[in-house]
Amino acid sequence: MRKAVAVQEVANAQSAGALPAARFVIAERIRPYLYIAPALLFFAVFFFFPIAYVIYLSFHDWSLLNLEEIEWVGLDNFAALWEDADFRQVLANTFMYTLATVGLGIVIAFFLALWLNRRARVYGLVQAAVFSPHIVSLVSVAMLWMWLMDPQYGLLNALLEFVGLPAYTWLTDTKSALVSLIVVSLWKGVGYNTVVFIAGLQSIPRDIYEAAALDRSPWWRTLVSITVPMLSPTLFFLLVINTISSFQVFDTIYIMTQGGPVNSTNMLVFYIYEQGMDFYNGGIASAASVVLLGMVGLLTLLHFRLMGKRVHYR
Amino acid sequence: MVKKVRVSILACVLTVTAVLAGCSGKQEAAGGQKSGSGSGGQQQTADAGKPVEIDFWYALGGRNGEVIEEMVKQFNDTHKGIVVKPSYQGSYYENHAKVLAAVSAGNQPDVTMVEIASVGAFADAKVLQDLGPYANGEEDKYIPGLMGNSYWNDKLYAVPFNRSTPLLYVNRNKLKAAGLDPDGPKTWEELRRYAKALTKKEGGKTTTYGFSTPIDIWFYEALVFESGGNILSEDGKSVALDNEAGKAPLEFWSSLLQEGVMKAPPGEKYNAWDVAKQDFLNQQVAMIFTSTGDLHALKENATFEVGAAFLPANKRYGVPTGGANLVMLAKSSDEEKKAAWEFIKWMTDTPQTIRWSLETGYMPVTKEAVESDEMKAAYQKEPNFQVAVKQLEYAQPRPMVPGYKELQEVIMTEIQRAVLKQATVDEAIAKVVEKGEKLLKK
Amino acid sequence: MRHAGRAAWKVVEWGLLAVVSLIFVFPFLWMFVTAFKTMPEVYRFPPTWWPESWQLENFRIAWESGPFLTYVWNSFLVAAGILVLQLLTGVPAAYAFARYRFRGRNLLFGLTLIALMIPPQVVFLPVYVEMSQWGLVNTLWALILPYGASAFGIFLLRQCFMQVPDEVIEAARLDNASEWTIMWTIMVPMAKPVLVTFGLFSFIYHWNDYFWPLIMTNSDAVRTLPIGISMLKAAEGGKLWNVIMAGNMILVLPVLAIFFIAQRHIISAFVYSSK
Repeated sequence: MRKAVAVQEVANAQSAGALPAARFVIAERIRPYLYIAPALLFFAVFFFFPIAYVIYLSFHDWSLLNLEEIEWVGLDNFAALWEDADFRQVLANTFMYTLATVGLGIVIAFFLALWLNRRARVYGLVQAAVFSPHIVSLVSVAMLWMWLMDPQYGLLNALLEFVGLPAYTWLTDTKSALVSLIVVSLWKGVGYNTVVFIAGLQSIPRDIYEAAALDRSPWWRTLVSITVPMLSPTLFFLLVINTISSFQVFDTIYIMTQGGPVNSTNMLVFYIYEQGMDFYNGGIASAASVVLLGMVGLLTLLHFRLMGKRVHYR
Repeated sequence: MVKKVRVSILACVLTVTAVLAGCSGKQEAAGGQKSGSGSGGQQQTADAGKPVEIDFWYALGGRNGEVIEEMVKQFNDTHKGIVVKPSYQGSYYENHAKVLAAVSAGNQPDVTMVEIASVGAFADAKVLQDLGPYANGEEDKYIPGLMGNSYWNDKLYAVPFNRSTPLLYVNRNKLKAAGLDPDGPKTWEELRRYAKALTKKEGGKTTTYGFSTPIDIWFYEALVFESGGNILSEDGKSVALDNEAGKAPLEFWSSLLQEGVMKAPPGEKYNAWDVAKQDFLNQQVAMIFTSTGDLHALKENATFEVGAAFLPANKRYGVPTGGANLVMLAKSSDEEKKAAWEFIKWMTDTPQTIRWSLETGYMPVTKEAVESDEMKAAYQKEPNFQVAVKQLEYAQPRPMVPGYKELQEVIMTEIQRAVLKQATVDEAIAKVVEKGEKLLKK
Repeated sequence: MRHAGRAAWKVVEWGLLAVVSLIFVFPFLWMFVTAFKTMPEVYRFPPTWWPESWQLENFRIAWESGPFLTYVWNSFLVAAGILVLQLLTGVPAAYAFARYRFRGRNLLFGLTLIALMIPPQVVFLPVYVEMSQWGLVNTLWALILPYGASAFGIFLLRQCFMQVPDEVIEAARLDNASEWTIMWTIMVPMAKPVLVTFGLFSFIYHWNDYFWPLIMTNSDAVRTLPIGISMLKAAEGGKLWNVIMAGNMILVLPVLAIFFIAQRHIISAFVYSSK
C-alpha cells in the first residue's frame, strides 16, 4: 500500500520528502531510468557512439586493411571531396534523385489517395495492389525491374514496340539510367504514400466538408482550402520521411547499375560503400558519411522545429 | 501470473540466444583454434582425431563454381587431416570487398582467390603470407608467363589458379556464310572489315552486329599493349597512357561504334560481359571479346560452331593475363598455413589443373600439364582450348601497384565516357592521368 | 442524359482502376511467368505471354544453388531475434516514457526521436569497425544487435500506454502488483493491436533487409535469404533470368501471401509509422 502511494507520488512528480520509506523512494526514482536504460544502451552503442566515431574517423587517413595505422589528417578528406568532380556528381545525382522521387512520389500518391479513398470494395483492392510492392524486398524489386528494363528482351521495350514507340535505353545510357532508378523507386514507394494520405484524409472531420457543401464551394476550392491544409501534417511527414529514405538509396544501385554508366547513378551511400569497402579510402568514406549525416541531421532538425510548432501533434 | 510472464520472457530470450549461439558457434570454434595453435604444427597435423579446418573463398558462380566445389570435395576426401570449407563470395569485385572487410574484422579466410591485379595491394598491406618458405622452389613448375602477378617486392605471394587471357570468339558459321576466313580476323583493320561484312540491317534496324566487346579495363589493357604501349610507367608511379598507344584503342572502338558495326554491350562491370555473351549465343553478334574461362560454357550452349582466336593485332599481338591467383592469408595459424599450402599445391597441381582446364576453358597452370598427353589429346580434338596457351607468348601481367584497384575503375569510367562521346579521347586520357597521379602517390 | 454520363464515367473509372492495378501487380505476374520459361523462350522477342511448357526445374536449380534452407532459417532468426529484443527493450522504455515523470525525460525522449529519424545506414562504417573489434562480423549477432532497440516501437507503444486509463493502473497497484507486473500483465495485453502492428512492420522490414547482411556476412552459415537470392545473378553464359526469377519468388511469395491474408493489419502497420 505504501509502495503504491510512493509510486504514484513519484509518478506525479510531487514532493516525496514527507514519506517515511526513503529507500523505496530512491528505488522508485531510479526505476524509470532502469526501464529506459536497455533501449538507450543500444542507441548509445549502435547509434550515438558511431556518429561520434565516424566524425573522428573523417579527420583521419585509414583503411579497413589496416586499422592500426590511422593517421590524423585534419580536414584533408573533406578538401579532397570538395575538389573531386566525381563526388560533386554524386551529390548532384543524389539531389536529382531525391527531388524526383519525393516530388513525384507525393504528387502521384496524393491524387491516387483522393481517388481511392472510397468505401466500395474495389477501391480497397486497388489500394492493396498499389501498396503491395512496398512490402517486397528491394532485392527482388531491383532484379525484377532489371529484367523488365532489359533493353533487348525486356517486357517494357516489348510494350513500347507494341504500341509503336521506339525502344528506350533504360539502365544502359547515362541520360536514362537515373530516370530508370527513379521509376523503380516510385513503383515501390507510391503505395506507402497513398495509404498514409488515405489515413490522413479519413481523419479529416466530415462536418467540415458538409459545411463546404452547404456553401456550394466548387470541388477544387474545397481541395485547396480544406483538404490540403488539413493534410499538411501528413504531407510534411511524408516529405521528411521520403527525403531521408531517398538519401539512403543503395540496393537498387548496387544490384542494377553499380553507379554506372559513367557514374551517372552513383549516389551517396553507394559512394561511401565503394570508397570504404572496395577501395582503401576509409577517411574519404567517413567524410562522405559525415556529409550525409549533416544532410539528414538538418532535415531532422527542420522536422522537429515545425513539428514543435504544430498543435495537433499526435 | 507474474512468474509465468517472467519465465516465458526468459525462455524466449534463452531460446533465441541458444539458437544464435548454435549458429555462430562454428565461427567461435574456428577462432579458438586459431589462437590455440601456433606451436609445432607437425604432430598436430598428423593427429587424425582433430582435422584442421581451413576456409577457402572463391569468386566464380555458375558451372565454374560447381567445378570448384567438386574439386574441394575431392580434396577433402583424399586428405584426412584437413577439411576445406569453400565459400562463394560473388564476382571478383565482391570477393575483393569481402576480403578487405574481413581482414579488418579478423575473420578472413585462410585461402582465397584474388583477381590478379589486386595481389599487389593486399601484399603491400601485409595481409598475405609469403609463400616462399612453403613452395621451396616448387613454384618453378608453373608456367612462367603466368607468374607475373605472383610476386611483390621479390617475394612469392600468389600461385596461378584460374588463369585466362582475353580471346576473340567468332561464330564460325556466320563467318563462313559471309565468305570470310572462319579462323577470324588477324589485325584491327581486318576486324573492322569482318565486322562490316557481318553486320546485318533490316529496315534501318540492326539485327546482327559484326562485333561486340565490353568497354572494360581488361580489353583496353590488351589493345594498349597491342598498340605498343603500357598502362603505367616502369616504376608504377605514373600513368603512361598520354600517347598514341593509349588513345588508339579508344579511337578504334569509337570509329567502329560510329560505323554501326560494333555494339557496346550495356551494363556495368560483369553485367556488360553477360550481355556480350548472351548476344553471341543468340547470334545477334558474330564476334566478341571475352575470357578464356568462358570457352566451355559458350561451346556448351551455342547452337553453332564456336571459334576462338588471338585478339587481332595492331602493331603487334598482346594481351594481359587475367583471372585469379590463390593466396594464403598472413593471419592464419601455422597449422592452418600448412594445411592451406597443401590445398593450394593440390588445387594447382598437374592432374587438377588439367581437369579444371578441360571443364572450364581456363588455362592449365603447370608446364607439365601443357605437355601432358591428356591436354595434347584435348587440343587435338578441340583446338580452341590451345589458343590461350599459345597467346601467352604475347601476354604480360596486369599492373598491380596498390593504387591500381581504384585507378582501373577510374580508367574504365573515363574510357566509357570517351567511347560514349561524352568526352573527347584527349579529355578522357587527361582525366585518367590527373587522377592517376593522385592515386599512385599513395 | 445525366444518367448515361454517369454510367460512362463508371466504365472509364473501372478501366482506370484496372490500369492502375496492373501497373503495380503485373510486374509480379511477369516474375511468375518468367520463372517457368525455358531459356530460349526467355530470350524470345517479342516475349510470349504464357510459358509454352512449365519448367519447375528452374525452381530446383535456384533452390539448389546454395543452402537455401539455411538462408531461410537465418532470415527468420534475424527477423525474430530483432523483434524479441526490440520488445524487451521497447516495452519498459515506452512504459517509463508514458507513465513516469522524471528528470531528463524530455532530453531522453528527444534522443529517442533523433534515433527514429536517422536511419542506421548513415553510420554503417563505424558500426562495421565496432563489430570487427568485438569479433562479431559474420555472426547473426552483427545483424541483430544494431537493431536491438527500435525508436519507432518505443514511440508507438508510448502513445498506446498513455491512453490506458489511470484507474486501471490504480486498481492494480492497490492489489499490490509490482510495476514490472503491471507493465507486462496489464499494459502489454492492452497494447495487443499495436504490438501486432509493430511486429509485422519490424519483421517484414528485417526479413527484406539486404544492405546490412551484405556488409556483415561472408559465409553461407550466416547469410540471409536476400543475399542468397542476389547471388543467383552470376553464371557464365549470360543471365539465367528464369532461374533468377524463380529464386526471387521464394523471397517474395511468402511476404505477398501474408500480405493478402493480413492485408488490413499490414497496411495499418505501415500507416501507423506515420503517426
